[in-house]
Amino acid sequence: MRQTFGLRAIALLLAAGLLLYPVVFTDPFYRDVGVTFLLAAISASAWNIVGGYAGQVSVGHSMFFGLGAYAPLLVYNLWGWPPIAGVPFGIALAISLALVIGMPTFRLTGHYFSMATLAVAELIRIFAGTWGLVGAAIGLQGPATGRAWWDLTFRSELPYYYIFLGVLALLLATTAIIENRRFGFYLRAIKASERAARNLGVPARRIKMMALALSAAFTSVAGSLYVVKTGFIDPDSGFGILVSVQMVIVAALGGAGTLLGPLVGALILVPLQTATNTWFGGSGSGLTYILYGGIIVLIARFEPGGLSELWPRLLPRLWKRAHAA
Amino acid sequence: MLLEATNVSKAFGDFLAVAGADLNVEDGEIVGLIGPNGAGKSTFFNCLAGETTPTGGRIVFADQDLTRAPPEAHARAGIGRTYQVPTTFEDMSVLDNVMVGAFLRHPHLEDARDHARRIVDMTGLRADQRARSLGTPGRKRLEIARALATEPRLMLLDESLAGLTPTELHEAIALVRRIHEMGTTIVIVEHIMEVIMTLTKRVLVFNQGHVIASGPPEAVVKDEAVIEAYLGRRHRRQDGNG
Repeated sequence: MRQTFGLRAIALLLAAGLLLYPVVFTDPFYRDVGVTFLLAAISASAWNIVGGYAGQVSVGHSMFFGLGAYAPLLVYNLWGWPPIAGVPFGIALAISLALVIGMPTFRLTGHYFSMATLAVAELIRIFAGTWGLVGAAIGLQGPATGRAWWDLTFRSELPYYYIFLGVLALLLATTAIIENRRFGFYLRAIKASERAARNLGVPARRIKMMALALSAAFTSVAGSLYVVKTGFIDPDSGFGILVSVQMVIVAALGGAGTLLGPLVGALILVPLQTATNTWFGGSGSGLTYILYGGIIVLIARFEPGGLSELWPRLLPRLWKRAHAA
Repeated sequence: MLLEATNVSKAFGDFLAVAGADLNVEDGEIVGLIGPNGAGKSTFFNCLAGETTPTGGRIVFADQDLTRAPPEAHARAGIGRTYQVPTTFEDMSVLDNVMVGAFLRHPHLEDARDHARRIVDMTGLRADQRARSLGTPGRKRLEIARALATEPRLMLLDESLAGLTPTELHEAIALVRRIHEMGTTIVIVEHIMEVIMTLTKRVLVFNQGHVIASGPPEAVVKDEAVIEAYLGRRHRRQDGNG
């Protein structure tokens, strides 16, 4: 009971902090960091549904992110539609691709799914880099200036911040609902032991497919949000391996398979990334890889469950120490 | 007849783990399966639970042909199982573990939770304890509870009572009896002859993938082939130790 109360209190504080952040930090730089944080949190929370809860580690989620990013600019470039009209196409494409990948790989156990996701994402990146319709290696550009409000081109970061926050809230609410339904129990059971879960009547393949489809849909939305804000997409920023790896690292750092883990991960990683980019500028682009590699080593060595497993151990100790003092 | 496994075989390459085994189980029975390690008992169990597709033979349960059906179909049909090495969901609480089983017949959260609580109380476990923190006896008990939550008509217990202290063993035997009294048919693989002699009225003896003897336990333990293949060797080892 106390734990639930504690969790609710943390969630409320976090929500209040996120709502007030751009009001307190009015500088465009800090607001931009806030938007980047929200995008990282959305992407990682979307990955978390299949990678964290169901334990099916995708290392190619950029394919869904990229589809979500390309679709809005494609409908704009082809037919002059507002980019936001491409979001449903992105979602539909991402879900279709998820089904195509999941159907053969979820029949197998082990690392086949991870390998397949990595390979398909790379294939799509290379293909997008040579396909003229999607701008090949140069990519696609959105409307430079908004024709109307529905082009969602704002001068200020503020509208983007609250749109992103709304999507994050929707995603977290969906995840919280899943956690307390049969679906959520089945996901955790599959992660712990698919063999035992199936023997208890869990239709593991169907559940994994549903998780992947849902995760792909939200990841695609993350891609769309990214492109609506930046107004530009190319194969590397859409389908690149770093996009996938960042989702995995953010979720794993905070705690994969927990509701707020990806948020905690993004809260640490995004300021860290911003700092290295600010200090080293363009010459430090390789630092991102070093940073990711270092974090992977630290998580694997010291806290495989992520920081969310550290708190329950640390808090009682701190509590005791505070009371003893 | 609740379960009719006829001429079931399972080959891994050239190795025949189960070679034409038959097992017919009536509703309400407790049947024992014994035999030396590597005799094919667990592989046979895997065939009955749908984890392994037999390479030959037929498995009919409650008039449904389940020979090639996946494990989840076996669970839906009413077959529950435990493992020789427990496979509990480590990061979940005891109650959540049991709820995974309960969801099969109770899709709604509250119904599943109520049903799981009843099972947890019956099996003498602590609902809020993490599976990870349980010892081997607790894990085995949790596996039984989890399978029981699926409301099976037939339970396959694979050495669920092995490695227990005498007190724990008697409690576990009492639990199996209670499950049986609730109307569940049981097939039990066990090396502990006390369990077999106490619980079962009929025993099948496996050796090298074949059923070499079957009948009441009192008769089977006197069977020359059984003494030679299984009991004799154990007795000789015990004599040697003594």
